[in-house]
Amino acid sequence: MSLNSALIELLSAMTTAGGLFIIAAGLTLVFGAMRIANIAHGSFYMYGAFLVSTLVSTFGSTAFWVSLVAAPLAVAALGFAMEVLVLRRVYDKDHLTQLLATYAMFLIFADLALRFWGAQSRAVAAPAILSGSIQVGGASFPVYNLFVVVVAALVGLGLWALLRFTLLGWRIVAAVEDPEMLAAKGTNVRMLYTVVFTLGAFLAGLGGAVIAPLQSIDTGLDASIIVAAFIVVVIGGLGSVAGAALGALIVGLFEALGILWTPAWAPAFIYLAMIVVLQVRPSGIFGVAETPW
Amino acid sequence: MTSLMRRGLLSACSSLGLGAAVAVSLGVSLLVAATGACAADTVTIGISTTLSGSIAELGRSSLQGIQMAIDRLNANGGLLGKKVVLVSADDGAFPANGANNVRHMILVDKAVALLGPATSAVGTAVETVAGQYRRPVFFHMANDIQITTSNLNPYAFELVPNTVMEPRAIAYYFAERVAPKWNGKKIRLATITPNYSYGRDTVDTFIKTLHELKVNFEVVSQQYPQLGATDYTTYISALLASHPDYVFAAIFGGDLITFTKQAQGFNFEKQVRLIGFYGRLAMKTLGTALPDGAIAWNRAPFWVDGNAEFNEFRRAYHEKFNDWPSAWAITGYSAIQIWAYGVKKAGTFDPDKVAQALAGATVPTIRGNITLRACDHQAEVPEYVGVVSNQIDPRYGQPIWAETVAIPASKTMLTCEEARKLQSSHR
Amino acid sequence: MVEPSAKQTHANGQALREAPPSLESSLRFVEVKRYGKLARYLFWTLTVSGAALLTAYLVPPVWLLELQYVAALALFAVATNLLVGYGGMVSFGQAAYYGLGAYTIALAWLHFKAPFWPCFLLTPLVGAAAAFAVGFIALRTRHLYFALLTLAFAQLFYTIAEQQYDITNGATGIFGIGIPATLMDPQKGFLFVFAVAALALLALWKITTSPFGLTLRAIRENRVRAETLGVNVFRHELLAFVIAGAFSALAGGLFIIHDQAAYPELLDWTKSGEPIFMLVLGGMNSFLGPVLGAFVYQISHELIVQHLKDWQLVLGLVVLLIVLFMPEGIVGLFNRTMWQRWLGKHAAKSPAAQKQPHAPAA
Repeated sequence: MSLNSALIELLSAMTTAGGLFIIAAGLTLVFGAMRIANIAHGSFYMYGAFLVSTLVSTFGSTAFWVSLVAAPLAVAALGFAMEVLVLRRVYDKDHLTQLLATYAMFLIFADLALRFWGAQSRAVAAPAILSGSIQVGGASFPVYNLFVVVVAALVGLGLWALLRFTLLGWRIVAAVEDPEMLAAKGTNVRMLYTVVFTLGAFLAGLGGAVIAPLQSIDTGLDASIIVAAFIVVVIGGLGSVAGAALGALIVGLFEALGILWTPAWAPAFIYLAMIVVLQVRPSGIFGVAETPW
Repeated sequence: MTSLMRRGLLSACSSLGLGAAVAVSLGVSLLVAATGACAADTVTIGISTTLSGSIAELGRSSLQGIQMAIDRLNANGGLLGKKVVLVSADDGAFPANGANNVRHMILVDKAVALLGPATSAVGTAVETVAGQYRRPVFFHMANDIQITTSNLNPYAFELVPNTVMEPRAIAYYFAERVAPKWNGKKIRLATITPNYSYGRDTVDTFIKTLHELKVNFEVVSQQYPQLGATDYTTYISALLASHPDYVFAAIFGGDLITFTKQAQGFNFEKQVRLIGFYGRLAMKTLGTALPDGAIAWNRAPFWVDGNAEFNEFRRAYHEKFNDWPSAWAITGYSAIQIWAYGVKKAGTFDPDKVAQALAGATVPTIRGNITLRACDHQAEVPEYVGVVSNQIDPRYGQPIWAETVAIPASKTMLTCEEARKLQSSHR
Repeated sequence: MVEPSAKQTHANGQALREAPPSLESSLRFVEVKRYGKLARYLFWTLTVSGAALLTAYLVPPVWLLELQYVAALALFAVATNLLVGYGGMVSFGQAAYYGLGAYTIALAWLHFKAPFWPCFLLTPLVGAAAAFAVGFIALRTRHLYFALLTLAFAQLFYTIAEQQYDITNGATGIFGIGIPATLMDPQKGFLFVFAVAALALLALWKITTSPFGLTLRAIRENRVRAETLGVNVFRHELLAFVIAGAFSALAGGLFIIHDQAAYPELLDWTKSGEPIFMLVLGGMNSFLGPVLGAFVYQISHELIVQHLKDWQLVLGLVVLLIVLFMPEGIVGLFNRTMWQRWLGKHAAKSPAAQKQPHAPAA
């Protein structure tokens, strides 16, 4: 394989990784800080994509930039509602209950999406500036795919800054590492949970919105993304944004290389990767050592 | 009341509850059966097809053609004096759903015949159920070779070119009109197709036929994304990495549109010539963004003038739906015509008599006179291969093909002997 | 030993674990059982067989086919509950063994035209073997990691089934699997499936009331304490996992009798969610709860899917309501409302109640 092709392959992998990272970052924060495996995270992702498609088809492709912000905000509102109305009732319950509560919301969201947007798949056109391709080495690569990578990098940077320099960020890190101390120190844990969950939903919506032009959007998106997102989060370590980035890269690379070398086994690689990582590092690569939950 | 007795009574209550539930379901099913048997002056034909996801448009447009045919039939007095009613369900391209839908249509809706689904995976499942319950089933979309060979039963009829005929036709076209331009230089071919029976069989036969026709080529890459995969980026870059001259893409419906669009971001067309399933939907949706000069195949292109009945149908369809009929609407319409012919000839809805009446018969339809070969119930119909143009045709308001060639069935069909051999190797 | 009353909860709210069949009451149950054993067995065998025969000859064939499926699902749900309810191990990947059981018969038929009966008897062994391999790896983790790992394994099996076209027919699936003609008949098929499911449930019942089952419950209640008592927790959990896998695979074999088809969707994580729904719906703290849950789930699925398109909405709302307000499922409805109210009226009169003021909640 020529150098050009290798470069294109790498960039393709980065595109996949970029999209996955944005989604997984939200999931890992929720999972790490709140100890809740939010299956409805996939629904948030799907809603982000659908909202962008609706906004763009109603207002034209100039609305794309606005919808990139509006859609995630709308999804964040949805996440806020879910946290307040549903999750608050299950914080004191056991893991199965919490899992089932989020799975139930996943089903409800899926049905509502089907009702609202119908069964046919849709497409979103990227805005003119981002369409077309750019020459990389001697080969062409879609501009929009690079855009996704850029957005993912920005999101990563923003989250790093949040966790490093803001009070909220410190509290989130503390919640990941030692939830009991957090409450003891007088933090309003309830409000923290609401903020974290809303942030997670925003990120999922953003992920969906950004990837929308890259694929066809239909009601199977929620189920297809959630397993990959969980794998990225588990590989990277709960609550670790850096881990989510690394996990996303690993998954993206595995997928790209797998398709290139052993197409039949490519989809199985990410599960094998998760199984292997958990054997070697039971809390994920950057995960905090498992506290008794 | 001790806990033991409570537990025992609890079990008893559960059983009673179970019994009550059984009684309730009994009542409900009797009710349902009653409503089903109610309308004695109608007869039901059922179809499970894909109405959701990326290929929803295929199922939807075929239903439109089918319903038009049924309306025409009912307007002319119905079938054997009874009004025909269509029941349809979405299987989401899942074989299990298709089998369940069809079973339900047979047992509860009392369907006397079935039409085939959009995807071949569901097709074999539906065919099996139709065979178990003895109902004629007409495949106007799904076309896997198994339907007329290893999975064949007396009640199934394949109305479009199967996964042997179709790729053979494309291969003939390729060998006769495209390959000669390479002057014997080795042609690099890559394939991409969904990973199920239709995709696999189509690609395998295409390659095999090219070998038989002594085309000088090599297969440099083969990709098998899942049916309904949404992101083809990694597949596209993998294909490009192998530097093919042609990419044979057995993708269809919304997936083909997605694939084409994503491929353009990689400047696919400048490097590779596509061979794809470009039909009405893809051409209308992509418009001027179509890959000009791509080789394409289709089973019933609307822009090819046919007999008077077809031209009239095309006009009426466009008037009603403001859209030109897709191949699926056309084949669906013809399926109803064929079933109606069989019923009229047999004089009854009895599945065995209808099947007997149709095997070996030649039926006049909007697609011309269609002969259903007796040995494998395969319709002897041509496959259309041609070249895509991305210019809007003024007659139709959307692009069509620059060149359309009909490859006749006589050139592409398996011989009866070959078919029988495959039939006996029942998988 | 006074059991915690139904209202008491642990600090982190073990609401779903409130009313386990307690150690003591189960032991007492086992003890008394010996005396009325024969009579009890006779009673239950006659009742159950009678109900089955009555169902087979009164219910229309369409619904008999559906009841076959319910019986298979009931077995699947109870096997899963061995892990979730009794063992406290939330496995989100039980469909892997269910699907494996189905594929065992399917692949043997597809490639070797193997006869049905040996393959059917083989299914629990295949399920057990796979569960052993998976459990060995997965049981080193706990709680959510365990759930996700089992999910990953199920998805792995799904991916393999979907991708390995030459072996499994990929997404197309394997249809029209040959089963003995007698089993194709709705009535006889139903009786067979019912009989197998009933016997399997009996075996599972024996397991849950055996010392092994009781130890499992002890592990669920307090893992550290069980360890200090000398219990090899890992081995117990692994054995439970293997047993659950074996019976799940048997349920998959029963599914083949119902559907004569095997396809990749039998293996994936959304299928794994079904037995979990059933056991939560029916009640995970009672042995027959999942059976009731399977019945209600599947029958309402059939009824709703035909008339509404909103099955997912209904299911989601019901599950939400149950986990929030009815954590003991439908069985819990019997337990609390009816009986305690009835008890409340008669508590003062009964001398037994006076001797045991804190009667263990069953």
